[in-house]
Amino acid sequence: MLLKLNNIFKWVQSGGQRVFLLKDINLSIEEGEFISIMGPSGSGKSTLLNVIGMLDDFDEGEYNFLDESVHNLKEKHRANLYKQYIGFVFQAYHLLDELTVKENLEMPLLYSKKSSSERKSLVADMLDRFNIVGKKDLFPSQLSGGQQQLVGIARALISSPKLILADEPTGNLNSKQGEEIMELFKQLNDEGVTIIQVTHSKKNAAYGSRVINLLDGRRI
Amino acid sequence: MFKNHLKIAWRNLIKRKVFTAINILGLSIGFGSAILIYLFLCYHLSFDQFHENSDRIYRMTTQENRGSIEFEPSVPPGFAKVFSEEYGYADKVAKIVDIDGYIIDVENNGSTEKYKKDVAFVQESFFKIFNFPLVNGSNMVSLSAPNTAVITENEAINMFGTLDVVGKNFVFENDKTIEITGVLKDLPQTTFLKANIFISFENLADHFEFASGEFWGGITSNLQCFALLKPNQNIADIETALLELPKKHRPNSKNDHTYRLQPLSDIHLNADYGGLNPIFLIVFGLIGLFLIGIASINFINISTAQAFYRSKEIGIRKVLGSFKQHLFWQFLTETFLISLFAVAIGIVIAVLSLPSFNTLFELQLSAQSLFNFQFIGFLLLLLGLVAFLSGSYPGILMSRIVPVLALKGKLNHNDMGGNSTRKVLVIAQFVISITLIVSTLVISKQIEYAMNTDLGFDKESIVMLEIPDDFDAARFNSLKERLKQVPGVQHVSGCLGSPGAADSNWGTSIKYNNRPEVEEFSIVVKVADVDYLNTFRIPLVAGRNFFKNDSITEMLVNEKLAEKLGLTSEELLGKAIEVNGGDIKANIVGVVKDFHDGSFAEDIGPVFIAPNVSMYNEIAVKINHLNAKNTLEQLNTEWSKSFSNYIFDYRFLDERVAEQYETEQRYLSLSKVFSGLAIFIGCLGLYGLILFFVNMRTKEMGIRKVLGSNVGNILRLFSIDFLKLILVAGTIATPLTWYFMSQWLEGYSYRTEIQWWYFVIAIVGIMLITLITISYQTLKVALANPIKSLRTE
Repeated sequence: MLLKLNNIFKWVQSGGQRVFLLKDINLSIEEGEFISIMGPSGSGKSTLLNVIGMLDDFDEGEYNFLDESVHNLKEKHRANLYKQYIGFVFQAYHLLDELTVKENLEMPLLYSKKSSSERKSLVADMLDRFNIVGKKDLFPSQLSGGQQQLVGIARALISSPKLILADEPTGNLNSKQGEEIMELFKQLNDEGVTIIQVTHSKKNAAYGSRVINLLDGRRI
Repeated sequence: MFKNHLKIAWRNLIKRKVFTAINILGLSIGFGSAILIYLFLCYHLSFDQFHENSDRIYRMTTQENRGSIEFEPSVPPGFAKVFSEEYGYADKVAKIVDIDGYIIDVENNGSTEKYKKDVAFVQESFFKIFNFPLVNGSNMVSLSAPNTAVITENEAINMFGTLDVVGKNFVFENDKTIEITGVLKDLPQTTFLKANIFISFENLADHFEFASGEFWGGITSNLQCFALLKPNQNIADIETALLELPKKHRPNSKNDHTYRLQPLSDIHLNADYGGLNPIFLIVFGLIGLFLIGIASINFINISTAQAFYRSKEIGIRKVLGSFKQHLFWQFLTETFLISLFAVAIGIVIAVLSLPSFNTLFELQLSAQSLFNFQFIGFLLLLLGLVAFLSGSYPGILMSRIVPVLALKGKLNHNDMGGNSTRKVLVIAQFVISITLIVSTLVISKQIEYAMNTDLGFDKESIVMLEIPDDFDAARFNSLKERLKQVPGVQHVSGCLGSPGAADSNWGTSIKYNNRPEVEEFSIVVKVADVDYLNTFRIPLVAGRNFFKNDSITEMLVNEKLAEKLGLTSEELLGKAIEVNGGDIKANIVGVVKDFHDGSFAEDIGPVFIAPNVSMYNEIAVKINHLNAKNTLEQLNTEWSKSFSNYIFDYRFLDERVAEQYETEQRYLSLSKVFSGLAIFIGCLGLYGLILFFVNMRTKEMGIRKVLGSNVGNILRLFSIDFLKLILVAGTIATPLTWYFMSQWLEGYSYRTEIQWWYFVIAIVGIMLITLITISYQTLKVALANPIKSLRTE
């Protein structure tokens, strides 16, 4: 069991009323699964992903991650937890514009205090694995969208997370680039990485082993 | 990690060139000014610190009580001997008497050159008290024999063209031949001692008998008395012990003396004894802090405003494992980098502007003094302080950003916080600018008032010619007659003490109408001939002028004396006055209107005017300014006929009067320069902020334009926010400045009023500058096609 959500509620106050973003979500995910979260706009897909990624709070319920009770943890411990086990991939790539490809990849390692030689070898491995050695000194703006997302995924993988959270990873890409990225996810999943992706596309969802449908914050 | 921070910082700075430039420019001006001010303060605080026993060296001073208390940096000439022989406090005691303008003849290779030089008559022990060594480093100065002298290296080169002058001679005052017994190393700038020629004290009797003797009857400010105390003395005890001296040596004097010991370090910075007012240094220091403060405020404002653009980066970093403190330090690194550039440029600015700074404040600071450990320490401290102060708030603000919102682009400007802080800081900047502008106005108005108000005498086109001691009545009268014949000369008057010469005033006791006691107040002596009133156009209010005479039989007084005595001017006429302990005795024949003898900081005091040809030391010549050059040449010719062995020297009276406002003039230049800088730095920051606001509201402007708003409306929309801030700043600055400048003006007995429109000028001026700054940026956006700005969203 990688993680388990029990009766998760999340709401905001609006005009004196509670507007529910997540309503009574129950979900358990095993290691090695590839899960797609689907649903129309505003159904709470991204919110759920952020809750799983511990970037966002919830108001009620229990969340256990690798047998730790996330709901009981202080913010700092929670941050430690996600930094250690979770990698994020974003729709808009979110590479740092001021850093080269190599430096973008290196950044998470700097924060986890890896030694310089260790960082170098990990970055070199990653560049190799994704076939972007030739691009290592380019800045994000010099890359195509697909290439940028490739770097984004490589960056998410570099600290060997157990779980990859991807929020519409192909949303800004054309169909060919999108397919390549999905193939890559499939391949990573085969290597044992757990993946949860948010997507609009049935085709992309088909790459996953399981689909979770949301509507107005509820599982359906 | 640090390297990574540095790299990111560098790339961020490059990316936002305009903001970086504004920050660096503002901070460099701040740093540059701070460096200059640091040099200035160091210079003034380092006076006479280099003497081996500087903590044991004291100057003997006198507190005079004649109804009001006055401080004299001197003691009666007899004091030194008594202090050294009858008390056991001092290891050494020495007297030094500075006198200006002696004639010195130097013979070199058969030709004789005449110089006019300031000279100090000094006792040998003076050089055992202070560290003013000879060129060979020893303090074995030999001045005990009469007709000996030591001179500085500079003076040796100046007079003889060589340093090898020991044993050479010069002729002093066309009389004594004096032998040079030693060459002193040049004196440092940071000492009270300004002389370059030191003559044996034994020679003083010929020139200034009073100062050379063991007299107790009065004080001359030419004389200073120094003592090197034995170790571990209690100053208060010594001063108590000295209380008996006046009773013993001046039993009948109404002028109650108290002798005091002034530490050497106090001499330069004690305004009571003619030193620099330390408030001047404090004001200077504050201005330095203000400038650095304004530049730091710019930095904070621009950075917090910019935080929005960096929220994405911060969000990503947080998601990828960065902690708050990482981000905080990352931002601080960036600030540090900017500050480092600014310091480097600041040093360049300081070094480049040092010559003008020196001219402005009449200093000789050198850039070399910048490169020592103390300065590097100061610089590092300043750098650290500025980087930390201006970096930490934006750093905290940015590290607080919530990553989910930042990454979703759901963050808006208000979420970033810092809006109200920014407003407060902008207001603070405006307050400083308004305060500086109003202060500049008040100071310049006060000086203008002093310069242009009728002083009660004519100071225009009056040339003051110095005359040597060496003359008699016949010689003086013949010179005066010849000067009168020079074309362009209107009036000529011989005198001791022109109006407006309060610096060298001679104040003394007065006994009115044979009363048994002398009066509680003192009277200023003006010795002058019958043409004094004509020359300086001083009107009579009662009686008549005295008749032409070479010695005192009749005298004039001013209205102030009548007021002090509680009488009318008419009542004074015909009454006898005794002055200077009965030395001078005459009847009052006329009363003149009061005139301003000193600066406007001083009250007008009682004055009397009476003739005594042997005491004149100047001739005042009222000339027609149209042909001044020719007239001056002819005055020189006539003067030189009478005093062929001397050097012709003159000054215009209005310059001498203006000199009374030297300190004020410096304050004025200071506040002009620095309020200019403060406004400039403030504008830079304003420009940066406006640039940011305009960018931020581009979309809003697009929407407004599509909905039918015109350029004028948009401009107004932007300006009003800033104008409000200026008004708030004005409301704060007005009472503050009013209070402080009123306090400053309190120091003047005759002063201008603070006008309400000074504040209007300052506030409206700042508003205009702001509007101009705003308009440029806003118009650029307001005139653009709105479709552009809307499409980019």
